[in-house]
Amino acid sequence: MSRKNAKDNGDEFEADEKSRRRSLRRRRSQPLLPEAGAGGAPLTAVIAVISFLAVLAMAAVLIINAAAHDWTASLRSEITVQVKGANAADVDAGAAAAMRILNETDGVLNAVLRSQEESAALLEPWLGQANVSAFLNVPAIIEVTVTPALRGDLELLRNRIAAAAPGVTLDDHASWHGRLATAARSGQALAFTVFLLVMGAACAISIFAARAGLAANHEIVSVLHLVGATDDFIARQVQRRFFLLGLRGAVAGLAAALVALIFAGVIARTDVGTDSFLPQFTLGGWMILWLATVPLVTCLVTALSARLTVLKALREQY
Amino acid sequence: MIVEFKNAGLSYGEGAETLSDLNMTLGEGEFRFLTGPSGAGKTSLLKMIYLAHRPTRGEFSLFGEDAMQAPREALPALRRRIGVVFQEFRLLDHLTAFENVALPMKVAGINQNQYREDVSELLNWVDLGNRMDAKPATLSGGEKQRVALARALVSKPDLILADEPTGNVDPAMSERIMKLFIELNKLGAAVIVATHDLHMVQSLGKPVLRISDGKLSRAAGSGGAA
Repeated sequence: MSRKNAKDNGDEFEADEKSRRRSLRRRRSQPLLPEAGAGGAPLTAVIAVISFLAVLAMAAVLIINAAAHDWTASLRSEITVQVKGANAADVDAGAAAAMRILNETDGVLNAVLRSQEESAALLEPWLGQANVSAFLNVPAIIEVTVTPALRGDLELLRNRIAAAAPGVTLDDHASWHGRLATAARSGQALAFTVFLLVMGAACAISIFAARAGLAANHEIVSVLHLVGATDDFIARQVQRRFFLLGLRGAVAGLAAALVALIFAGVIARTDVGTDSFLPQFTLGGWMILWLATVPLVTCLVTALSARLTVLKALREQY
Repeated sequence: MIVEFKNAGLSYGEGAETLSDLNMTLGEGEFRFLTGPSGAGKTSLLKMIYLAHRPTRGEFSLFGEDAMQAPREALPALRRRIGVVFQEFRLLDHLTAFENVALPMKVAGINQNQYREDVSELLNWVDLGNRMDAKPATLSGGEKQRVALARALVSKPDLILADEPTGNVDPAMSERIMKLFIELNKLGAAVIVATHDLHMVQSLGKPVLRISDGKLSRAAGSGGAA
């Protein structure tokens, strides 16, 4: 009987010990700085707004870049030959001479003579849908696609065309190309400046929140120091907290910005169709990949700002 | 030498010196009681030893290193060799008793698997095995003091400083705590216990330092050098 009791007691002890060990293993360690100390939900919300604006600014950079690339690529591969004349017969003769030269020239991939009607249609936005040809001697337009090699040296072709008939000129779109490139660069610079300003705001918010958090957790920081924590250890705790808060907010901001961009793209396509001169709000895979880096950058800026602020404050105050 | 002060003084701001002309040594494995009236400077002396403040004049060495000149980066390693039982406990309210005790280990970068059993054992020893997951706000004064004691001892420090460690516990626990200090002292740790409990001081027969009006002296009839 007593042996049975001893066995029961032994089993009980073993069960208690197993339960105690399980309980110890289950124990999850809490962060050393309490949640409220770093600003918590309000900071997450601010980071979400900042991330939203940063993603939109970066999207503007990417959209302008893509549009400028499309515009300038098209302008780079095409040239236009314009044929003026005193009357329609002169224009037709000049156009025929120009076409002959173009077709004989190495490096000309394609040359299309636009009809009088098509040329007149180009004037419709300014002159309306009247019979323009009846009172105006509309020049002929030849759209020419050339190889990059020929595009690089058009002087010979320009001279030959000019000699073929009076009133024939070759436009390499250099002026347009320059203006568009400048406009695109300005737009990109503006969008990127906005992006940097938004990142600056993220940095400022982090500094403010880190200082406030440190002040609120003065006693905790002091105890951590006294049990042997290095400044770097304490800064790592703050940095990890800010990174996680920043990540939560930044991902929310990215999601909201993607929804806004998709919505804007749908509206733009509905309103102006796909042939618009304006850039398309199309989010390609590569563009989404670029935009996905913005939350990461936001988190890094947030965490790094907090870390540097804490290190500086610890050196000054503790 | 674990602790050595030579003509050291401490003043807060521009005021008069709280501690002055401090000359004291504490060797390896030595035990000292520190007594004196409230406000005499016991806590200030302990604060200097655990590097919360450095003396404003004189010489001070800790574990053989010149603590007056030690760069900021060197202080954490020195502090990790000291276990402190603060008078006001200084537990972190958002952490459990277990996590508070484990704090020095965590700060030292030790993996939880390595200290889990030690922390658990120590909490069981101070009769708090069933309160490991309790937050300080739910603990009594005596329980908090025992958590603070466990935290000070968990990393097996070379120097133990205790500021009124038995102030909030019953006589039986008080006796156990003092016996623990003596056992740890026998194992090689140097110990300084600041206390008002003269009965305990007399009963243990350990050397006593008396501090009064910011001056440190060796109490009459006690062994050891001030």
